[in-house]
Parts: sequence; C-alpha cells; structure tokens
Amino acid sequence: MQRMKRHHWIVRVTHWVNVLAIIVMVGSGLRIFNAYPAFARKGEIFCCYPFEHKPIPSWLTFGGWLGGARHWHFAAMWLLVVNGIIYLSFVYLHGEWRDLVPGKGDIRDSWQMVKFYTFRRKDHPHQGKHNALQKATYFTLPLAGVLAVLTGIAIWKPVQFAPYTALFGGYVWARYWHFLAMLIIVILSVAHVFMVFAVDPYSLPSMITGNYDPSLSPEARNARPFYHLLPRRAAPPPAAAPPSGTPT
Amino acid sequence: MSAHDDDGIFRFVDGIDRREFLVRGTGLISATLLAACNSRGPKAADRLLKYAERKNLVLERKLFRHTSMDVVQAGANEAGNKLPSYYVSPSVPVWDEAARGKWSLEVSGLVANPARLSIEDMQRLPQVSNRVNHYCVEGWTAVETWTGVPFTELARLVRPDPKARYVDFQSFDDNYHESWDIESAMHKQTVVAYGLDGSPLEPAHGAPARVYSPVKLGYKNTKYLTKIVFMPVMNGGYWSDQGYEWYGGV
Repeated sequence: MQRMKRHHWIVRVTHWVNVLAIIVMVGSGLRIFNAYPAFARKGEIFCCYPFEHKPIPSWLTFGGWLGGARHWHFAAMWLLVVNGIIYLSFVYLHGEWRDLVPGKGDIRDSWQMVKFYTFRRKDHPHQGKHNALQKATYFTLPLAGVLAVLTGIAIWKPVQFAPYTALFGGYVWARYWHFLAMLIIVILSVAHVFMVFAVDPYSLPSMITGNYDPSLSPEARNARPFYHLLPRRAAPPPAAAPPSGTPT
Repeated sequence: MSAHDDDGIFRFVDGIDRREFLVRGTGLISATLLAACNSRGPKAADRLLKYAERKNLVLERKLFRHTSMDVVQAGANEAGNKLPSYYVSPSVPVWDEAARGKWSLEVSGLVANPARLSIEDMQRLPQVSNRVNHYCVEGWTAVETWTGVPFTELARLVRPDPKARYVDFQSFDDNYHESWDIESAMHKQTVVAYGLDGSPLEPAHGAPARVYSPVKLGYKNTKYLTKIVFMPVMNGGYWSDQGYEWYGGV
C-alpha cells in the first residue's frame, strides 16, 4: 500500500471548522430568512425569486427562533471569516492555490470528466491532485464564501455603510445576492459530499489524517459515481499469445 | 469510552480501518445534525453567544457615524398602506383622553430642563420630513416619509447632562419601551414623528407620536410615546429583554 501526504494540517483543520461554520451560518440564515421569506420591499413585487413568501422547511433551519438564529448568525460569522482568512492566506502563501486556480485546458478537461461520468468516455481522464470539475468546485466555493461575506456586511449595516450597500444595488438586492451566494455554497457542498461518498471515499480519511493512497485514487480505480468503488485487483497474468497467422 | 476502545481510536486516526471510520463518522455527523435541526442549539453555547453579542455591540457602536445617512434607492415605491401595523396590546392602543386627560410627551431624566409637550407644542418646534427606509428585524424594508421633531431639537430644549449616555423611549402600548445609546438618538435622521406620508400619524402606526430612525431596527422605534427619559445606564427594552439584540443598529 502506498501512502502520501495529501493535506497540510492547516487545510484539514480549516476544512472541518468550515463545515461547522457553514452548517451554523446556513441553518441560522434560513431561520432568519423565514421571518420574511421574500425579497420584495413592502408595497412592491420582486422580479426574480419564484418562491416569494414560501418559508424554507423548518427542519433545514437552525436557531429555533428569529432572535436565537440572529445570535448564532452574528457569532458564527466571525468563525467563518477568521477561518476563511486563515485558509485563503495559507493556500496563497504555501502554493496550494496552484492546484485550485483554473488554468489553460480546464474547460476541455471538465468536459472530458463530464463525458467520463456519463459513460461517453471509457477511461478516467488523467489528472493532478484534483480533476478539473473538483478544481472548479474548490475554486468557486471560496469565491461564493467571499461573496456571502461581502453581501452579508452590506445587509448588516445598510445605513452605516450606505454607499457600500449601494454597490450591490441596495439592501433588497444585497439580501438577494446574499441568498444566492448561500445557494451556490449549499449546492456545491452537497455535490462535494455526494462525490466523496460515491466516487472517492478514500479521500475522507485523508482530510483527517492527511494521508492518501494514490493507488486508490479515482483515476487508478477508473471510478465513476458508484462504479469501481473497491480497489482494483492485481492485473491477471497475460493471456497466452494469440496464434499467429490468419484464420482461414 | 473504555480502555478497550483505545486500539479502535488508534486505527481510526491512522486511517487503516476505513469501514469503521465511515460507520463512526456517519453516525457522529447524523447525530449532530439531528440534535441541531430546528433547535436552539446546545445550551452550553449560550455564554458564547452572549459574549459575541457584547463584542458585536462594542464594534457596532464604534462603527456608528453621525455622518452616515440612510438613502432611499431611486425608483423605490412608498409602502403606503402596506406598512404593517404592529403593537403588543391585544388591540390598537388609543390614548383615552376622557380617562387620562390630554396626551402629552414627557422629556425628562438626566436633563437640566425637563419638559412636557403637547402635540401643538411639538408642532411649534422645528419640523422635518424624512423619506427613509424602515428596516425590520424580520428582513423586510419599507419606504415611508416621517414628519416630526428632530430628536436633537428636543435635546436642545431639555439640555441633557453629559452623563446621560442612554435614552429610554416609553409608551402606553402595555409596558412597551426600548432604550437606546445616546449617539443613535442624536443621529440627524432620528425624529419624534407625528406625521406619516403627509397625514397625521394614525393609531395603527403609533399615534399620537413615536420615535422613528432608520439607524435602528423597527422594534427599537417605540410607538405610542409617553416618555423620553435620559439615563446614565441602559434600560433594556420590551424585545431586548426577550432575547433580541439590545443594540439593534442598522
């Protein structure tokens, strides 16, 4: 069995702190949203949200009541921000950003991954630390996080920072962008967790211990969701050479 | 957990027994989520949340600027009759002149010159009309034009002591009141309003007079005013005492 160091301890710690921060922020945010599950200013209608005045199912929310959810939200926001700054600084200073920032050919490589996952390509595309779809996800997630924080500040202090809130189109729109940033984070996180279990469960311990066995990587297993989850067996001995000559 | 489990923990950390790791991990995460869903969260977190609220309060008061003004977005409609009416009494509070005499507003506390003002007295003071946003704690906003006396004019009249760092706005809507930091009260857009959208304030929205400022969330803006009291210390409030943030600044 091979073993290599895959995630620095700072990445592992910030990853799990982030899991906690995001669960608390999304849950409490949805509970706050449910106090007025719409975007329209009173006396107006809002163009761009199809579920105006339909509350989020309460089992998806956290905090119990509006005041409680606000306390959680305004406390956990510091956890999210400080943790995010530590992670992004580390990734920048330690060079890990090279594995995450989109590069030339990533669109083509993403398309090849889509073809592979949809059985239109037989072999797993060659990849580095992450495949092209993972790279796009892990690059977009922090961006959506930054957007969530920036729009969050805008709706936290729309009077004290009025010109700043106006940059997002004012309070009503800033609240909408804040919601969309949350939606992006939730969709990508759910996809991420699904793919961990369906394609590369061996990466889960690596986010705790830091160790990863490359011989179990999805590329080595040629793994699609729910396909080739188990390690490949040793290759069978080569078959006898085919008879020479042409059949008659 | 018994000592017997030590070996299991070791293997868990070492990442050898992945099956056991997955089983334990999934169980732990599900249990946490089940415990967390739609709950108020662990009781042990209360002290942490209170601590965060105190720190946020200090930061928010530092961020406060008298020069920061609420600006209504171009093209925004006034809420008009879509502005929710709200009070804590069982029915709309109306000042009963027959039983309680003519309504007046007491401005008192740590001041050199306490005053008692009728509506007519207030209307003789300098008047402003502010077209501003209303920010509700629930997340909605409403544009309205509030007409009344700037709070700074009332302060000029009663001459508060420098030790008066807080102001309590009290009402005849049951025991509703909310206390504010003095700087938010002295903000240029804070008015003691007796008019809404060009008409006299109606009982549904806090008649005869209410405090209105866009720098505070709706619940801080006491309606049905009876008393404005300058104080050396904060005095909580109807919703603040029930767990909403005392500061409620926007």
